[in-house]
Amino acid sequence: MTYFILDSCIGCGLCKTICPSQAITGKKKELYKIKADICIECGSCGRVCPLSAVEDNFGLIAQRVEKKAWVKPFFNLDTCMSCGICLDTCPAGALDSNTQKIGSRHVFPYLPDEFVCMGCQFCASDCPVDAIIMVPRIADQSPTTLKQES
Amino acid sequence: MDIKNKGYMGKVMNVDLSTGKITIQKISPNVYKSFLSGMGLAAHLLYHRIPADADPLGPDNLLGFVVGLLTGTGSLFTGRWMVVGKSPLTNGWGEANCGGSFAPAIKRCGVDGIFFTGISPTPVYLYVDDTTMELRDATNLWGMDAVETENHLLKKLKNRNARVACIGQSGENISLISGVSTDKGRIAARSGLGAVMGSKNLKALALAGTRRIAIHNKEEIKRLSRICNKWVQFQPPFVPGFFTAPIGALMRIMPAVLTQDGLLYKIMLRKWGTVSLNQMSVEMGDAPIKNWKGSNADWGFFKSRSSNPDGFTKKEIKKFHCYSCPLGCGGICKTNGKFSQTHKPEYETVLSLGGFIMNKDMDTIFYLNELLNRAGMDSISAGHTLAFALECFEKGIITTRDTMGMELKWGDPQAIEFLIKKMINREGIGNILADGVKLAAKRIGKDADKIAIHAGGQEPAMHDSRNDPGFALHYSVDPAPGRHTNGAGLYYEMYQLWKKVKNVPKMGPAYWKSSKYKKNIKHARMGKANSQYMNVINGAGVCLFGGFLGTKRIPIFDWLNAATGWHLTPEQYMEIGGNIQTLKQAFNIRHGLNPKDNRVSDRLLGLPSQTRGANKGRSVDIDTMMKDYWELFGWDSQTGIPSQKSIDKIASIT
Repeated sequence: MTYFILDSCIGCGLCKTICPSQAITGKKKELYKIKADICIECGSCGRVCPLSAVEDNFGLIAQRVEKKAWVKPFFNLDTCMSCGICLDTCPAGALDSNTQKIGSRHVFPYLPDEFVCMGCQFCASDCPVDAIIMVPRIADQSPTTLKQES
Repeated sequence: MDIKNKGYMGKVMNVDLSTGKITIQKISPNVYKSFLSGMGLAAHLLYHRIPADADPLGPDNLLGFVVGLLTGTGSLFTGRWMVVGKSPLTNGWGEANCGGSFAPAIKRCGVDGIFFTGISPTPVYLYVDDTTMELRDATNLWGMDAVETENHLLKKLKNRNARVACIGQSGENISLISGVSTDKGRIAARSGLGAVMGSKNLKALALAGTRRIAIHNKEEIKRLSRICNKWVQFQPPFVPGFFTAPIGALMRIMPAVLTQDGLLYKIMLRKWGTVSLNQMSVEMGDAPIKNWKGSNADWGFFKSRSSNPDGFTKKEIKKFHCYSCPLGCGGICKTNGKFSQTHKPEYETVLSLGGFIMNKDMDTIFYLNELLNRAGMDSISAGHTLAFALECFEKGIITTRDTMGMELKWGDPQAIEFLIKKMINREGIGNILADGVKLAAKRIGKDADKIAIHAGGQEPAMHDSRNDPGFALHYSVDPAPGRHTNGAGLYYEMYQLWKKVKNVPKMGPAYWKSSKYKKNIKHARMGKANSQYMNVINGAGVCLFGGFLGTKRIPIFDWLNAATGWHLTPEQYMEIGGNIQTLKQAFNIRHGLNPKDNRVSDRLLGLPSQTRGANKGRSVDIDTMMKDYWELFGWDSQTGIPSQKSIDKIASIT
């Protein structure tokens, strides 16, 4: 069971634009389709669809989420082991590594441009040491300030 | 997402460069269970697909880029990808191994390997993403070095997920000691497979897939990874780099050896990287000096001190971690001169361009490291070829008439730079040397073959077999000869296989040094276990340095079971490793190689033995060790040929 576009689709094309694996095909103002063998089930099509016309892999209607409220990764550098699994697993290629140094450890992941992140949470679910927490980014609150508060 | 296959993708991509046709081939789960993925899968496919009389540089040769079974599953140390094919250097099984971030990129394209046949009429590169698989024109990339090619492609593709592997000028010029480069200077260098890529007119692979990898028990893998990570993060303060030389000297003087625990080496790798061995190896007799003729007596502490590991960390801008590696032994260093930065030179490079040719100028080593990385030339083989040329000049076999007037003196940075540039561009004497020592000796003639040090055509690495006879065994018996990563006595100590696997020799806390040189079937048993385990490691796509942590600390067997849902025991995995080794040996036999020809040159074996230095008076009885090793594998003990029955049994698996 993979993601599926319902007949209520109006063909606005938002899902096709955001899909990181080019799994969605279709023409404007026509019904779009998801290629099941390519879909990686990141759920970003469901989050952008203005008509909630996407059914997720559990058969539930995916709910539209305001872009401002999309969850973004927050890295706990104390537990991070700099393995780079999150950098690879991100289908949007949104993460990069910096040269920060903590003790004998260097090179930690960070999110250079948060608009590229689609909030799919793959980085958090694939992190072996659970060093990534997904939190909504509230306006004017950068990851650094979040860290300071916590 | 394909959820039938767990851990592996169950497919390979076949690219026919002559016709431009790209197909996806399904591989049966039985093949994975019999050979794992990575090197094992490649051995299975190459054995069946490359015809016996294939020219390594012709259209019939198959060039494969494969990735291990554990890559992308959340297990650690699994960022290795491998290049395989029939080697033009040895005319037999060719393999090269590399880290960086390219390994998961192969799997994210939905395949476990990409195999190229044929020869493209014009230079091309392969582009793959989730919906596209195509060969694109690379005429404008031809002639660029590896870093320029990668930068150019990444800029052009504008895809954040894209990862590139390519060849430099050395591969384009079909130099038989060239490799495949990725991550702006990490290189799968051995076996001359860059030349195979160049002969196919294939400049690069650009992979930008985003596929997910199905895993049987993700939580179990995470649990095991967390335990493994705790060992990696254990990093107590360690002595400054200055003290590594005295430690090496102490190891040289002591008549007994303490069985080494890989955790100590891990601490050094984390602190400095492989350069931590620079001075230590020279002092303890592990590093060859002056084309295997010299010793620590010729390259004492004051001469080697410029390669002090602390000097490298001072130049390090940032650490470099391969994919899924919490250790991070690599680094990016700043350099003086033409290039602004380079990957931190590895121990092998520092030695082969340093003590091995009596050069103590570190600036030259940094510069040449970047130059070789960019050209895609193997620094181990390049160092050997330089040493060969210098010794030929010293003995008058070649003269200034052959070298365009350049005086070739040991340790002269100008002469070294001159020769390397000529080799990369195949100009003048460079054209003679660019294909490794064996061919160079053949071209020069005049007894030059006595100076050419190699194993079956491939130059051995910077670990002296007179110090650890295990290296001599693996340089000689492995189907890809001359490779130091396939096994050694020291590696066996660090793997600590006896803690997980039954029926392998146990090591006590210490042993006498002299026992290493005595006839004992134990050495061959250790060699067999090393080969079996290394094939499992390569099938799983794990890094050798991860393996050094010891089987108790890096749970490769448990990770494999958790990723795939199999219930195989460590002994069964070792048997799989043995089958892969037999298949690789059968590949060599099929291609007309005599296993006896892979025996390393006499100088490495201490024949005649050295008169001074750490390895004074030592010699290795390699013939007995080779016979014992072959017999333990069930191969003919006199010829090293596996029985037809055992080959048929392994080759019939589909």
